[in-house]
Amino acid sequence: MGFEIDRRPLWLLLIIRGLRPLFFVGIAVVFWYILTMPLPEGLSEEGRSAIAIFAVCLILWVSNAIPLAITSLFAIVLVPLLGVISRDETYGLFGNEAVFFILGAFILAGAVMHSGLSSRIALAMMDRFGASPKRLILSIFLLSAMLSCFMSEHAVAAMLFPIVLDIAKSLKLSPGRSGYGKLLFLSLAWGCVIGGIATFLGGARVPLAVGILQETTGKTIGFFSYSLAVFPMVVIMLFVGYVVLTRSFKIDVDSVEEAHSVFRGRIHAMGKLVYKEYAVGVVLLLTVIAWATLGGRFGLASIAFTSVVVLFVLRLVRWKDIEEYVNWGIILLYGGAIILGTALEQSGAALWMAEMTIANWASSPWTVIALFAFFTMLFTEGISNAAVIAILLPVGIGLAGRFDIDPVIITYAIAVPAGLAFLLPLSTPANAIAISSNYLTVKDMVKVGIIMSTTGYIVFNLVARFYWPLIGMGY
Amino acid sequence: MRRNYLSNPTTLKIDLMLNGIRTGGGLYEESSEQSGRAGLGVDLVLPKGTLVNVPSGDDFTKNSPYILKEDKKGHYITDGEGTVRVEVVPRPAFYNEKTSTGVLFSEIATVHGSYAVITPSPNCEFFDKSVECKYCAGNFDVDGTDKRLFTVDEILETAEAILKDGTSRIIYLSIGFSKGDDGGVELLAPYIEAVKKHFNCLVAVESLPPKENKWIDEAYALGADSVLYNLEIFDSELFEVLCPGRAELIGRARYLEALKYAAKIFPGGTVASHLIVGLEPPGSTTQGIDALTDMGVVPILPIYRPQSGKALRIEPLTAEIIIPIYKHLYKAVKEKNITTKWVREISTVTTPIEGRLLTGEYKKGVLSIIDGFYSSKLGMKAAWGLSALRRKLRVKEVEGKSSKSPKKTSKD
Ligand code: SF4
Repeated sequence: MGFEIDRRPLWLLLIIRGLRPLFFVGIAVVFWYILTMPLPEGLSEEGRSAIAIFAVCLILWVSNAIPLAITSLFAIVLVPLLGVISRDETYGLFGNEAVFFILGAFILAGAVMHSGLSSRIALAMMDRFGASPKRLILSIFLLSAMLSCFMSEHAVAAMLFPIVLDIAKSLKLSPGRSGYGKLLFLSLAWGCVIGGIATFLGGARVPLAVGILQETTGKTIGFFSYSLAVFPMVVIMLFVGYVVLTRSFKIDVDSVEEAHSVFRGRIHAMGKLVYKEYAVGVVLLLTVIAWATLGGRFGLASIAFTSVVVLFVLRLVRWKDIEEYVNWGIILLYGGAIILGTALEQSGAALWMAEMTIANWASSPWTVIALFAFFTMLFTEGISNAAVIAILLPVGIGLAGRFDIDPVIITYAIAVPAGLAFLLPLSTPANAIAISSNYLTVKDMVKVGIIMSTTGYIVFNLVARFYWPLIGMGY
Repeated sequence: MRRNYLSNPTTLKIDLMLNGIRTGGGLYEESSEQSGRAGLGVDLVLPKGTLVNVPSGDDFTKNSPYILKEDKKGHYITDGEGTVRVEVVPRPAFYNEKTSTGVLFSEIATVHGSYAVITPSPNCEFFDKSVECKYCAGNFDVDGTDKRLFTVDEILETAEAILKDGTSRIIYLSIGFSKGDDGGVELLAPYIEAVKKHFNCLVAVESLPPKENKWIDEAYALGADSVLYNLEIFDSELFEVLCPGRAELIGRARYLEALKYAAKIFPGGTVASHLIVGLEPPGSTTQGIDALTDMGVVPILPIYRPQSGKALRIEPLTAEIIIPIYKHLYKAVKEKNITTKWVREISTVTTPIEGRLLTGEYKKGVLSIIDGFYSSKLGMKAAWGLSALRRKLRVKEVEGKSSKSPKKTSKD
């Protein structure tokens, strides 16, 4: 933990600090007001309580006034306390399969990263394919995307960041000014973002969405079905991404020969491929195959945990190594989000809110999907994408019946756009990591990110409208 | 024909510091021990509560017109023509006590009135390189020999003794030059943190400027309430001659730059720099006062005490010549609205606020109430509380920019 000296005027700092307690008092007032307001038509008492909790969580998630996971704790405590769902059921929901799948995926990704396998693959691919400046950009872009299909996109960004930084330094690119420097880090961030929507593993948001779907409707989405549904979108976005990348900033280097000495130096330092890397690679590969083929039968979480057990039995990893990679806060965040989603749905609050808002603006199933995708993409630029799902998905599922849309489709319409964050560093950790290089400015990111976000929105709607019906996802 | 300075406590303080005092008989022996490590001298309270450490026993004091005498009513000073009543400040009782490790407190700390100086590391690496400041009196037993550092516990015991004694309420942690870019901040960090953790007192750091400003931030964030980077000589050529180590290894420009930056980080009136009066022409010291006050830095002007074999003093050096410097100091801090409540009641220097008595502006009305408040126990507590609040507002904890583990984040 470092520190910064805030040099703004003291009176301003005093006001800002003073606002914090006031802010919480304000939240308490909002909470109390909703809890005690006269029951509107069509809303049950439990529904009103669920909306009061939802309002508190919404404000806290959006403002980031306390850690996201702690906001989830609010939901976990308040839902049974106000009698929206019984205590047993609430804590039972916390044990949702999605939460455990996420935990298993974190442990697996941790093992892969700890073994050094992912870094070795990254270095070898960049060395093999990145012969020219353009090809190196393409290598980083595709590599980030590919790795994000197997592990959390922010873990990929964090892993590749030092390598890309070394490339930029070896090419003597000037931070903030070199066009090629900007491209290197944009390709890293965009590759992670696009790859991150390709499977359940890219970001834990898809399992979370599936968890909420499962708890509220009993339906689910399979590992393979999800990837199949988003496949064209990923391919198109990768293509568009590459075109935009190579045209947005000037490539101001003629050769990337120096970068290859970085790759070789790092590969050399890693030594030869060892048993541990082979073994972890094989376990991961088998796990992904099992998720795709046996996921429906055995459950994704069970498969993940089986692999985790295998890793430990084979002594491929130690618990101490894994702890570094598991974000326990996110487990709380997701558990709380599922509980809140279920509370909103079961109490009828979600439907009521949907009736009051989107139902008034949408005229057809298609517009419902377009509207949800739009709001999701808008929110995800500023809020954690898990929080966006927790906020919008219960409302979406509530509305599905009204427009005769399969809740599974609504889940896609929120879970997929929730990953399409190209505009700001706070949208996703991959963007934040790229900006932290100082080679890329927020202005650069917004300038080209807007093209990607707009394209992403259009492509999503086209895929939803024309491709999904072809694979049996009509609406 | 000497002027009569007895009637004005500030002129008397200046003249006493310049000429010293003769004590005669047993009184000298008694008083010479009063000031702990600070060397020979008598701590006196002149009228209007003006505290002064008067050289006594040094060679140059032998011709002093002032004699300290005692009668039934107490002590008084006479210059042969007039007299003025004074109080002799008793030697702090804790000077005779020892730390649990057996070190005399007087070897670690010296009381100078409202503040007490503690030197955790009695080493200055300028001595190793033979570039020590020419006027360095080794007053704090500082030299290049590798003396052991006092432990944090020893410093804590000393600070406790000082604060119990009650005279000083500000702890000055003072060190000489140490190589490294941090200006000694890393060395002082555990001491600052420990004193801040155990006592509700203000802490000042007296060191040489660090090479990078981030260390100034660090000192503030750690808990230092005040910082002193003593330029000592403003004239650039004399600076090089008299302070070869400072000139060569730090540079005058860096001093000014660091002071300017510190004045933006620390509260108003808490960044100070010594300019020694008597080692450069008065005009040059006056220019220094202007340059420092322009940056919001409080100039502190000690008078050079000549030692045998180190006749560096610019002669003639008389009260007539230097009183205008102190007048200028008071006017400069007043004009530039620099708060002087931090630098007050110090026995070894004439403080800016004492310069007020030279301009004919005597304490009166609201001003004297405020002054009285700040020198009271309650006032010091208020100053400590405000300083702590300011630090809480200013210092923001952030995730280390070079954090090695962006692996975990809840933004997904
Ligand atoms: S910096 Fe100069 S005055 Fe201070 S201890 Fe070292 S030599 Fe002496």
